[in-house]
Amino acid sequence: MSFLVLDNLQKSFGAIQVVKNFNMAIEKGEFVSFLGPSGCGKTTVLRMIAGFETPSGGTISIDGRDQSRLKTNQRNIGMVFQAYALFPNMNVFDNVAFGLKVAGTPRAAIEARVKEMLALIRLEHLADRYPYQMSGGQQQRVALARALAPKPQLLLLDEPLSALDAKIRISLREEIRQIQRQLGITTVFVTHDQEEALSISDRIVVMNAGRADQIGTPSEIYNRPATRFVASFVGTLNMLDATVVDPAEHTVRVGNQVITLKETLVGKTAGEPIVLALRPEAGSLQGSGDTTLKGDVLSSSFLGSVIRTKISVAGNPVSFDTFNAPDLTMPRPGETVDLRFSSGDLLVVRD
Amino acid sequence: MSVWTRIIGWAILIFGLLYFFVPLSGLFEFSLKARRGVYSFDAYREVFADPQFQATFSYSVMMALVTIVIGILIVVPTAFWVRLKMPWARPYVEFLTLLPLVIPAIVVVFGYIRLYNTSSWLPLTGSISGTNALLAFGYTVLALPYMYRAVDTGLRTIDVATLTEAAQILGAGWFTILRRVILPNVVPAVLSGAFLTFAIVIGEFTLAALLDRPAFGPYLQRIGANKAYEPFALSVIAFTITWACLALIQFVSRFSKAAPARH
Repeated sequence: MSFLVLDNLQKSFGAIQVVKNFNMAIEKGEFVSFLGPSGCGKTTVLRMIAGFETPSGGTISIDGRDQSRLKTNQRNIGMVFQAYALFPNMNVFDNVAFGLKVAGTPRAAIEARVKEMLALIRLEHLADRYPYQMSGGQQQRVALARALAPKPQLLLLDEPLSALDAKIRISLREEIRQIQRQLGITTVFVTHDQEEALSISDRIVVMNAGRADQIGTPSEIYNRPATRFVASFVGTLNMLDATVVDPAEHTVRVGNQVITLKETLVGKTAGEPIVLALRPEAGSLQGSGDTTLKGDVLSSSFLGSVIRTKISVAGNPVSFDTFNAPDLTMPRPGETVDLRFSSGDLLVVRD
Repeated sequence: MSVWTRIIGWAILIFGLLYFFVPLSGLFEFSLKARRGVYSFDAYREVFADPQFQATFSYSVMMALVTIVIGILIVVPTAFWVRLKMPWARPYVEFLTLLPLVIPAIVVVFGYIRLYNTSSWLPLTGSISGTNALLAFGYTVLALPYMYRAVDTGLRTIDVATLTEAAQILGAGWFTILRRVILPNVVPAVLSGAFLTFAIVIGEFTLAALLDRPAFGPYLQRIGANKAYEPFALSVIAFTITWACLALIQFVSRFSKAAPARH
């Protein structure tokens, strides 16, 4: 039995259905990210788990216990908000102690636990500070400590890094992941930033228009996107229009070039149009690869560590990155080049 | 800034100050003339020595404090709830709280007397404590426009919805949220509403007179009708108290520890 089970979850606001048939089982200690563009319903799912929204249908159970009858303050969940939401009238110590005080924990135990939490986020020296005297990153770490202090059974993170600047964002996400591993707390993380989701999750749920398009590990999501939406939302992806030549032989035609795919073409008939996808890092001009496509160079830009080249393959623009080397000559626009890649990198995209 | 705009600015300021202070200084000067030919504080001495003054003034202070407490208990949860759950109702609630400015106190008190007289279903006017309670509720109504506006403005400076959710997920119920999170963050606003309430209650005449309670307002009126110099001394005292209240508001809002969060 999984720890957190979302069964056929639905939510409508008036006539608009924002979450549709959402199913998911999360194991104890897992770090799961809900990834999707704004308005995809990811925050709504999180808010339903927290009890801030009531599902229009379906159930949420934590550790085998149905949550629908429980109010937010009875669920024993920790949550970190995008806007920090520290209590402005309390100092760091009192903020972290709030949940424990509400629960009626003895004073000595509160003191010990708050100290422990502040040590965890390495802010023991700021216990007397008020929220407005701290930076955003510090406030968010305090918010994390506050959420963890009452030993919640589940931790919810609602875009906790979005309000921070880039450098803090990266260091804090590593810190969050490290603390999560250390405590072994089951965590749901909501983000619209694919890099964030890929870098810290055990599993990712890619959400689109109220549905879970794909659930999988970061490498599954990135390397084997299940739908066109997932493929285009996670990372950058080149799309190629192709036609099936022979389904039995896995051959397709791109423009007038015929190539063989590794993937099977089950259910496809000869002459049927399909869409292929290729990651920018999969192709190169010099490297090895069992497949070659000819194309005309449209542009080539030097980005420091990599060179990004854009070519046109039978009218499809294809970008690819190659690592920089001092002796490398950049392809010139108008030149015809051979793009090499492994046939296994070419994905057949389903809608 | 050119010299002329400066001069005009100063002229307007000086005119304003004169407009305000000349009558007041006349008032003050006259209040010192109780003894023929010389300035003295005789009138003030009279006033402070009058047991009636002490009794009515302390009665009104007591009523003001009670009114403030009732006001806070009614207004803070209401303003909080309207902001959190019923934002569509804000204009209506605001309109409702403004009604006491439109409906004269005399109408309110006649309504009260009709509703709560000794032959009614709730004979509040039948006992002293009942009448006191009625008076306090009446004062609360009169102070509502100021109290509500102050608290509502205070709530605007904090992110009510997120702070409430943050407290809820940490296990807090509504009472704890109001007492530990919302109220402490609107203290300066609540205090400014409280001081305005204080100033209103201290000088209020109509309700107290018609409910026949020994408040400061009716006393002020009685003295004014019967004595020459004391009413002016009383007026100066009343002004001083009001100003002291306003100064306290300034002081509290400037030095409050719970400075608003940065957003």
